[in-house]
Amino acid sequence: MDPFWETLERNSKHMNLQGIIIQILSGISTGMVIFLIAVGLSLVFGTLRILNLAHGTLYMMGAYLCYWVSSVLTSFGGAFWWSLLLAPIGVAIFGGLIEVILLRRIYDREHLDQYLLTFALVLVIGDLCKLAWGVEYHLVTTPWPFQGPVFVMGMPFPSYNVFLIACGPVIFIGLWALIHYTRLGKVIRAMTYNREMANALGTNVPRAYTVVFMLGCWLAGLGGTLVVPTASAMPGMDMIVLIECFIIIVIGGLGSLSGAFLGSLIFGLVNAFGILVAPRLAVAFAFILMIVILIIRPWGLMGEPE
Amino acid sequence: MKPSMGNRKKTKSMFGLIAVMVGFLILPGFLSEGWISLVNEMLILALAACGLNLMLGYAGMVSFGPAGFYAVGAYATALILIDTNLPFALAFAAGPLVAAASAVLIGWFCVRLTQVYFALLTLAFAQIIHTIIFEWYAFTRGDNGIVDIPIPQMLKSITHYYYFSFFIIILCLALLWLIIKSPFGKTLQAMRENAQRAESIGINVRLYQLSTFVLSGFFLGVAGSLFCGFNKNVFPNYAHWIKSTEMLVVCLLGGIYNFFGPIVGSIVYLFLDKVITGYTQFWPLVLGLIIILLLLFLRGGIAGFIAERMALRRRRGEQA
Repeated sequence: MDPFWETLERNSKHMNLQGIIIQILSGISTGMVIFLIAVGLSLVFGTLRILNLAHGTLYMMGAYLCYWVSSVLTSFGGAFWWSLLLAPIGVAIFGGLIEVILLRRIYDREHLDQYLLTFALVLVIGDLCKLAWGVEYHLVTTPWPFQGPVFVMGMPFPSYNVFLIACGPVIFIGLWALIHYTRLGKVIRAMTYNREMANALGTNVPRAYTVVFMLGCWLAGLGGTLVVPTASAMPGMDMIVLIECFIIIVIGGLGSLSGAFLGSLIFGLVNAFGILVAPRLAVAFAFILMIVILIIRPWGLMGEPE
Repeated sequence: MKPSMGNRKKTKSMFGLIAVMVGFLILPGFLSEGWISLVNEMLILALAACGLNLMLGYAGMVSFGPAGFYAVGAYATALILIDTNLPFALAFAAGPLVAAASAVLIGWFCVRLTQVYFALLTLAFAQIIHTIIFEWYAFTRGDNGIVDIPIPQMLKSITHYYYFSFFIIILCLALLWLIIKSPFGKTLQAMRENAQRAESIGINVRLYQLSTFVLSGFFLGVAGSLFCGFNKNVFPNYAHWIKSTEMLVVCLLGGIYNFFGPIVGSIVYLFLDKVITGYTQFWPLVLGLIIILLLLFLRGGIAGFIAERMALRRRRGEQA
């Protein structure tokens, strides 16, 4: 028999209600971490109209910074929580510098130039991380108070992942409020709608761009920080996550906040069950979903046609 | 410009071209085998980049997934050579044809979308090709790749293979040149400048884009097949998007609005790669910095820069 069906049958024999619920939970927790990263990419694309290929690399930088800060502060209590505060800010400041020094020069260029500039950043930042932290895997221990498991219907589930599941909606609501109820949010919406008009009406567009880009980088850094206790920081993690983010924002709709949330949930679940069915083909399932969406609804589930 | 001057310029560039070709032909007399295989690799990459540039520079379609077709070409040739007793010529011809066939299938979906969406869809398909090659052990041998591919005794020597691929590549480049200079090529450029206007004068934009996609896939397939014979091993990372980006960088480095741009780009790129990796393992860092400098200060690429300089000098000469 084909190995594919063998795996399917073997796995489905062990499948019961508890197993399915654990799988759903782990899918959601994967989805929620990647939501933080994807929403940053989507926000930057929606506002700046730049597809930032270096977004994944900034996430990787966040992961390394988290490892670094926690190893420096290891003698203090709660080192991880300090790095959760500091690492994303570090990434945001770095991103701000990139925006001011480099990105600003290419907003009015062709798409290809923008791709290539951000790809160059992938190479440069990736190698800088290698220079600073080597090529070894770096893991941070699961922070207090989330070391032990919680029990869901008698099945153990890591409590840190419950914390991750909570992070997604918190950030989602935070961003929602930011976009709908603050002055910055108004500016972002105006710029997304019509950049020239916003500029003509007296918005300081360049400054707003810097702020939005830094916010995007902060989110990437936050994702990187949160992921280190569950998966090591290592070279190459940036590309994997970038492709996953592409899938998510295409499914949800480029530039849409709720689309990124929905897309991440779908991605997490497809991934969790894909692994169950055919462990090595899980990524292909997500890609197929993305292709289907691109063909029947290119602007994504929650996006709007241009 | 007076017609006589145009002819003189044409003859001059004709002579230049012949001189360069003769130069490539007598190279094996001067260089060691290591350098010859580097030049061979440069030529293959140049062909791949020119194939991509038909889409990128002439039709203005930014693809993130050219490496997919390159890998399809390489794997088709490799699998036929290793699993069947068919002659080499047939295996070699199958590469580009299978690549073109898969380009028909994938292109049919891709040309429905524009800009970012088009780029993302090409990326997705290339990654799917990568996943299939990587995971389908029974057929493609998965991430072990295919090693020790048998090629005819006659082509085993590095010099012989160099001449073989040189011949094929010149043939393909000539074909690409003819395509670009044909009404079809001019139409592509019109579409690049303004797709809506092209559509309004009755051009079936999608059909033209699909044809470009397939042609480009065909030439990428030729390059893949050539590389398969050159390396005698094929690996799944031929389809990886890092490889695709390498091709994009080569096009940009040389200049995408110039026929010879990708060729210059591939020579400079692989030369730098070889020289710099001799000094440091941080070649990506250097490459990244080169791309940034290029984007900020040398917008037309190297070939674009040279062409600009030459035009400037000619203009000055005419004034004097």
